[in-house]
Amino acid sequence: MKSLLPQISTRSPWLYRINAGSCNGCDVELATTALIPRYDVERLGCKYCGSPKHADIVLVTGPLTAKVKDKVLRVYDEIPDPKVVVAVGICPVSGGVFRDSYAVHGPVDSYIPVDVNVPGCPPRPQAIIDGIVEAIKIWKSRM
Amino acid sequence: MFSFIKIVLRNLIRGPSTEPYPFGKASAPKGLRGKVKFDAHNCVACRMCEHVCAGGAIQFSEVPDKRGLKFTLWHNTCAFCGLCEYYCPTKAIHLTGDYHTAHLQKDKYGYVETGLVKYQPCANCGTPMVPVSPRLLSLAYGQVNGDIARLTHLCSECRRQICDPVSSNRSEVK
Ligand code: SF4
Ligand code: SF4
Ligand code: SF4
Repeated sequence: MKSLLPQISTRSPWLYRINAGSCNGCDVELATTALIPRYDVERLGCKYCGSPKHADIVLVTGPLTAKVKDKVLRVYDEIPDPKVVVAVGICPVSGGVFRDSYAVHGPVDSYIPVDVNVPGCPPRPQAIIDGIVEAIKIWKSRM
Repeated sequence: MFSFIKIVLRNLIRGPSTEPYPFGKASAPKGLRGKVKFDAHNCVACRMCEHVCAGGAIQFSEVPDKRGLKFTLWHNTCAFCGLCEYYCPTKAIHLTGDYHTAHLQKDKYGYVETGLVKYQPCANCGTPMVPVSPRLLSLAYGQVNGDIARLTHLCSECRRQICDPVSSNRSEVK
């Protein structure tokens, strides 16, 4: 039973999206990756969920603005372990074009341990799929 | 009722509209702005790309042994805006169709594009200088004759001496 559970559960990770102050560009690409049949991330067994308590793979967009920082960290803490974090877009990875702004507290990895980076402004849906594939591999190793 | 059957049949014939990626190949549309590629051979180190870069991704620095200038572009802050390509006079930098940018966190700071613009000694005085790229010459002069080709091997100081000895002497007197 112990060996069976990781095998089954790693086939269907739940994705959860945190918007840490993004300009919406990356969120649109995430929605595209998930919702329209052309890219259809659900072929990988993934499904978006609305509650952090159900999440397995967390997709973070945005540079972590001062305004949302505390809320992001609070939501992140609600996600059960083991979790895998994917930073989508250059904003969460380095701050992107907003780097060094007084309103930005990022990069995200100074507060949250990030596992996979998907740079791009915004990244293409296929690049996001690449990142999710990497994240599933990491998640399997953590189960 | 019939229109419903028509749609089902049409979709059966057309097949799925889902792109096969990641289980199959993905194509990049023409004109897609992807990862930046740098060509040190055609770069004249004018550093315009560094100046205009929206994401602050580009950095030029002299290598410690002073062999030349090192170009570094950190993909993790490049916005794919294309300003560098637009303003580069010799088109030594361009955006490719490669958008597969996902990488692990441990590679975060190593995810760079680098290149070395090697200095060449001035044919007259031996001062190290950035070589003039052939593409810049053809852009500036179209047809490059022997005189121009010879001048490209000289540093700016020696070039000035040869082209305008009177005024360069005057500046020395000052
Ligand atoms: S990476 Fe670019 S598209 Fe994505 S949130 Fe930041 S600015 Fe917007
Ligand atoms: S890549 Fe182009 S713009 Fe940048 S320094 Fe070289 S020649 Fe100038
Ligand atoms: S595409 Fe834009 S952000 Fe990227 S290196 Fe060129 S100028 Fe900088």
